[in-house]
Amino acid sequence: MLRMDRDDHSAIQAVLAGDKEAYAPLVVRYSGRLFRVAFRITGNEADAEDVVQEALLRGYRKLESFESRSDFGTWIYRIAVRCALDRIGGSKVDESSRIAETTDGEQGSVQIADQAAGPERLLLSGEIGAMRDLAMRGLSPTERTAFVLRHLEDRTTEEIAAAMGIPPNTAKQSVFRAVQKLRRRLATLRVKV
Amino acid sequence: MKHLSEEELIAQAYGEGDRAAVERHVEACAECATAYTALTSDLAEVKFAEPPDRDNDYGEKVWESISGSLRAYEPGTGNWLRGGLWRGLSYAAACALLVACAFIGGRLWERKQAQNTPKISAQTKQQQVAHVAQPGRVVVVILSDHLDRSERLLVELKHADGESGEMVSPLRDEARSLLAANRICRQNARPGDDPALPALLGRLDHLLQELANQPGGLNVATLTRLQKEMNADGLLFEVRVLRSRLPARQATAAGRTKGDTI
Repeated sequence: MLRMDRDDHSAIQAVLAGDKEAYAPLVVRYSGRLFRVAFRITGNEADAEDVVQEALLRGYRKLESFESRSDFGTWIYRIAVRCALDRIGGSKVDESSRIAETTDGEQGSVQIADQAAGPERLLLSGEIGAMRDLAMRGLSPTERTAFVLRHLEDRTTEEIAAAMGIPPNTAKQSVFRAVQKLRRRLATLRVKV
Repeated sequence: MKHLSEEELIAQAYGEGDRAAVERHVEACAECATAYTALTSDLAEVKFAEPPDRDNDYGEKVWESISGSLRAYEPGTGNWLRGGLWRGLSYAAACALLVACAFIGGRLWERKQAQNTPKISAQTKQQQVAHVAQPGRVVVVILSDHLDRSERLLVELKHADGESGEMVSPLRDEARSLLAANRICRQNARPGDDPALPALLGRLDHLLQELANQPGGLNVATLTRLQKEMNADGLLFEVRVLRSRLPARQATAAGRTKGDTI
């Protein structure tokens, strides 16, 4: 890891000295990691790929402001999180309206057997997955991003706050509200037979 | 017993907050234990689709797609911005601090000066009184002007009528005034001057003293005596000759001057 950091820093120095190609190893090294977090936040493969490219472009242009004491991986990760947040923030209205049409009108009408195994349950398990996705889409961009970073990326409150550029308490509250909302949405799936 | 809030339970589920205290409470409180179990069950149920795998050359593909949009940094620019910017900001901060110190120092000095002003004013007044008590003046005498005035005095003396007080009194005042100027001219006579000048100024001095300090004032008899004894006519002639011999530069107002403190 230490060797990688040293490589990162020497690559950055080379880029700032005018060697554009020196940025290529950094792109190769971190693209996969950035894609994963971008996909988890956006929930969409194409959006995630766009986020990766945008984050690496932004990173290149802001490379002058990168402090040599920092870890490039952490730095570019934060940029990717913000790019992803920007992306889902832009489509917030559309997602919210879609959720309202699909779930609110049918709330209480979806009944799923949670114990009996069988063809019906297997069929419905796909619907459960779809409902989970919808439940996630019911979160605000901030709540969704904070929850993804907490629940899937296993980041601490401080790391979430730093990545999203918000105060730690806001990050903590965002996670809390996200969990509350998700639990309420998922409760509709547990209708006992 | 106060139950745990949902927020505390969520923090516990994610390994944050006061974990030991919450754990103890959950062990002791059945209601909170049930709530905590339900929460962890719900959170376990929240699963997301795993990100699709990327090809091994995904990084290279990303590089190919963005490399065309990147513009190479100018050599040195980065270093300048990274090091120079902070150095520049440091210098700017140091300058600002210096200016601030100078400003504050100036204000404090001003205030101190203002407090000392009454003392200084008092001292200055005393000094001014001393000057008044011992006044010093710088008198500048232009030789040609002095000879001019002397000539006029001698002409007036020649035509003076001792019976007329209106004429005699100004004559004496003018003699007193010329006496001081004449002394300055004598004291400042230089070797290069006209050789006849010191002698003329000496005789003029004698006459002016007589005119200025004649006991009992000036009258017809005194004036006649002085004119004869002092050879006022001859003195008048000498003054005129000397004036005509003065260099042009001394004949003008910008000419050589005689000065002294009296």
